[in-house]
Amino acid sequence: MSRGISDRVVGDALSGFERLVTQDRVNAYAEASGDHNPIHLDEAYASTSQFGTRIAHGMLSLALVAEMLAIEFPNTWHSGGKIKVRFTAPIFPGETVTTYGEITSIDVIGDETGGIRIATCTVGCKKPDGTDAVTGRATVPLE
Amino acid sequence: MADPLISTAVAGHEFGPYDVTIPAERADAYAKAVGGDESPDYGNHLAPMMVIAAALTELIGDLGLFTGGLQTVHAGQEVSWERAIEIGEKVEASGRLVASSVRRGNHFATIAVSYTDAAGTEIGTSSTTIIVTGELPR
Repeated sequence: MSRGISDRVVGDALSGFERLVTQDRVNAYAEASGDHNPIHLDEAYASTSQFGTRIAHGMLSLALVAEMLAIEFPNTWHSGGKIKVRFTAPIFPGETVTTYGEITSIDVIGDETGGIRIATCTVGCKKPDGTDAVTGRATVPLE
Repeated sequence: MADPLISTAVAGHEFGPYDVTIPAERADAYAKAVGGDESPDYGNHLAPMMVIAAALTELIGDLGLFTGGLQTVHAGQEVSWERAIEIGEKVEASGRLVASSVRRGNHFATIAVSYTDAAGTEIGTSSTTIIVTGELPR
């Protein structure tokens, strides 16, 4: 049985998900975000880059991690959530990535009677070979 | 061709403000691009990263990244939100170059952005770290 977010405890895993990052998804993200940089869209240009081919937007991979947090903490992630990540490897179109996270601490901000519980989570997004494409930490109010 | 701003701007340089108000059709396009049918229903609120992405696009343009042979890597990102943002709500983003240094031929830059609502109240912040290669020695 699933618990409400206020019942979360240290060690709880977040409900990650898999998502296929296709070039169509990258193209659609470029249209929606306005980021038409050629390293994401132009194979001829991208082939001269350090990556040798097109890569997904870093913000697209972060959006996947944020989506996981929005699903996990639907009432609080958008109001008081914080996240800090590093982009540690590129995601190439055609790769299926997996988001993940775990609550590593819960702290009470304020006094015990009127305080707010804040969960700190490790979060990230892994490539098919298990390496991290995104890794970092998020904090989310639990009520 | 003039040097791109990333090559000449010094710490303290200010960007914007940019209007990053997200209309419904753009919010819908963003949600479909990120997750399609798998994305959660945000109701009348935005996925916060949509606003960050919109501001980042403006910054990329103003900094001249990906011009004149430059190659840019998005190395890190921080985001915080005070409250949810409604679709169509007026939001402005104001940026500032807070760090800029060159190490081993790589240019590291960090831009902090503050997001304010129509009342001028800060509703979120972000910090973007990029690494730029391919700049001419100065």
